[in-house]
Amino acid sequence: MLKLQNLSKTYSKGTVKAVDSVNLDIAPGEIFGFLGPYGAGKTTTIKMIVGLLKPDSGRVFINGINVWKNPIEAKSQISYVPDSPEIYDKLKGIEYLNFIADMYEIPKDIRQERMEKYLEIFNLKNAVGDIIGSYSHGMKQKLVLISALLHEPNLFILDEPMVGLDPKSSFQLKEIMRERCDEGKTVFFSTHVLEVAEKLSDRIAIINKGRIIALGTMDELRSHAEERESLEKIFLELTE
Amino acid sequence: MMKKIISLIKTDLNITYGLSALQYKFNNKRDRLQTILIAIALLSLIPTYIMIVSGLVKIYEAYIGIGQKTMFLLNGFIYAQLIVLLFGFLYVMSKYYFSNDLNVLVPLPLRPKDIVGAKFVTLMVNEYLTSLPIILPFIIIYGTRGKEGLLYWIYSFILIIFLPIIPLALASIIVMLFMKYTNIKGRKDLLRVVGYIILLIALLGFQFKIQSIAQQSVLKGEDFFLEMAQDSNVLVRKLGLVFPPSLWAALSLGNYSSVGGVFNLLLFVGTSIAVFWIMIQLSEKLFFEGLIGGLEVATTGKHKKVKIEDLSRSSLPFLSIGLKEIKILLRTPVYLLNSVLGVLILPLVMVISTTMNGKEVLGALSMLTEGNSHIVSLVGIGIITMFGVMNCVGCTTFSREGKSFWIQRVMPIKARDQIFGRILSSLFVQIIGIISLLASLAFIINIDFENIFWITTLGLLGSVAMTELGMVIDIFRPLLDWDNPQKAMKQNLNVLIAMGIGALYLGGVGFLVYKLFKTGVNILAIYGIMGLIYIISSYGLYILLKNLIIRQFSILE
Ligand SMILES: Nc1ncnc2c1ncn2[C@@H]1O[C@H](COP(=O)(O)OP(=O)(O)O)[C@@H](O)[C@H]1O
Ligand SMILES: [Mg+2]
Repeated sequence: MLKLQNLSKTYSKGTVKAVDSVNLDIAPGEIFGFLGPYGAGKTTTIKMIVGLLKPDSGRVFINGINVWKNPIEAKSQISYVPDSPEIYDKLKGIEYLNFIADMYEIPKDIRQERMEKYLEIFNLKNAVGDIIGSYSHGMKQKLVLISALLHEPNLFILDEPMVGLDPKSSFQLKEIMRERCDEGKTVFFSTHVLEVAEKLSDRIAIINKGRIIALGTMDELRSHAEERESLEKIFLELTE
Repeated sequence: MMKKIISLIKTDLNITYGLSALQYKFNNKRDRLQTILIAIALLSLIPTYIMIVSGLVKIYEAYIGIGQKTMFLLNGFIYAQLIVLLFGFLYVMSKYYFSNDLNVLVPLPLRPKDIVGAKFVTLMVNEYLTSLPIILPFIIIYGTRGKEGLLYWIYSFILIIFLPIIPLALASIIVMLFMKYTNIKGRKDLLRVVGYIILLIALLGFQFKIQSIAQQSVLKGEDFFLEMAQDSNVLVRKLGLVFPPSLWAALSLGNYSSVGGVFNLLLFVGTSIAVFWIMIQLSEKLFFEGLIGGLEVATTGKHKKVKIEDLSRSSLPFLSIGLKEIKILLRTPVYLLNSVLGVLILPLVMVISTTMNGKEVLGALSMLTEGNSHIVSLVGIGIITMFGVMNCVGCTTFSREGKSFWIQRVMPIKARDQIFGRILSSLFVQIIGIISLLASLAFIINIDFENIFWITTLGLLGSVAMTELGMVIDIFRPLLDWDNPQKAMKQNLNVLIAMGIGALYLGGVGFLVYKLFKTGVNILAIYGIMGLIYIISSYGLYILLKNLIIRQFSILE
């Protein structure tokens, strides 16, 4: 479903490699956790996947489509929830949702049904007629989540989704992620909290200083004898 | 206290004009290229300016001819001060009430006086940039042609320094009063902007009334021509009532060697200081009251049942983009004021200046066009095309996305839909421009159906090309990292660059049309050629834009 080949990026302002030859192959129906401390390169990797940041080298395939060669086809397969919800403050919640649905060309009855469902789940129904500028940070985040779910993406990409979300919503989100992968869809999310990755993911990749240093199920990672020391150090950082 | 105010002014100037950022930029190679580009764009405006100035020399001579040369100075002062006033309304509104630093300044231990005073000084700098290009040609032509003495230049200097104070202070007072009394709970952004435009129109109407009274009084006396021959200030005295400070300035400079000159100079300077002082005193009472609550956002209230089925709508992607652009434009005061007033100012000024200069100009104008009403259409098309840049919609369309730009980039939106949608939002403003231009033309001269048809169709075609031109510049160097919408539109250099290049383009088309018209080419052929040029350039720019959007959407960081 999602395939990264030798993905690398150095920021024009920086000198260090933010992402260094990352390779990943994620199967359909998988929940994949991308774990690493702050500044490890998670956001940078995700931005390269969703088309916001052009890689220096390497390729990204979504469902076999090269993101950087056929961006429109690739983008219609994915949804992206960024780490901070910067959206149009001057639109009403419902206007924003309709706008997003228009971009994915979702038919009226289908979008209506999904809006109804997710607005109910995230308890945003009563605020949806208000201007987004009046929303709290958490409400904006939930609106972005809903907008990302409207077109039922094959690949759902979330950058630090649990940060700033209230416990109930974060529980709901976990349920939704599970539901998605039961339907054979793929979820890719990043986090800097070991616990979150552990609870949610089928498989985990640990990234540090731009490089993938471990990959597998949680049990596999734990039983890995070699590199144990360095892994433990990072775990320590991640559990703080 | 003084130190605090000076520091406030310094910081404000620095932020507003980005002085530190400019310095930093110039040390950077890539940005240096940009600076050079901007300089070229600015230079391209010079020919137009020279043409206007040489026209002024003719007007000077005409006034000499009727023995009323002080009128020339009066014209200069009135234009300069009224334009300062007009821009004052815009600047004051956004600077005092919609700027981001308020969140920082208001909680600081500063008196309203200090904040308003500092903001006033920053705006003065802005207003000099507007008033100098207008008043200087008048003063220099008058001074050099009439070989005036040293005292003339000293007077001029003082007058120029004080020139923006009265109009800007008046604008400040009116805006502060307006904001205080419209600070009502609920949805007020749109309300305020609409109310504000109505206020401006009402003020202009008031201005017309005074003018027509002044003009009537000129023509009343039996021995008017006798008076004119005896007193070289008689016209000024009567017409100057339109804006008395300009009258004092003109009389003082026109009679600098006499006591009357000194008297009028003192009157001008004294009144400036007095009006400024009154404004500052009033600000203590008015400023915060207009402000408090100005930063909050409206909500529809608690627990209202919302029915999604009534609220969900679907439309084509490009329509949806256009609609979203228009909504944001209408709901962000700074955007609305800049885009809509950009296309309203000229029609308004046209109406003012014809009423101000009275019947003679009107007669000359209709004489010029009577024989051939196509001139009206051609000029009208040119003006509407120019509005295509002046409305600032195209050349800031991507910049206005700001930090939300990622939304556009992660979705599967075709470049075609981006272009069509954004052009649509510009055309929305253009239609307002066309209506107001046609209305003001109908007010000044007679226009017929043919005028309306050509101005509307070719004007819209030209607007498409101009909007695309702006979009090309904006996608090439979008200004995305802002936290105050003001930066995206008013402080965006893309606007200036687009205006420069747009003026060159329009100048070229205008020159060609003028040549064709003079050589007597059939008018329908001329319209055809104009239309063809617009269509070809729209198409060319469309292709360029499409490629640029695809490229920039992928390489921006
Ligand atoms: N816009 C940028 N310009 C320069 N360096 C950046 C930029 N964004 C991130 N970096 C650097 O790239 C590295 C990876 O950052 P990021 O991908 O944001 O990490 P994470 O999301 O894992 O916290 C860090 O060293 C960070 O300082
Ligand atoms: Mg991150």
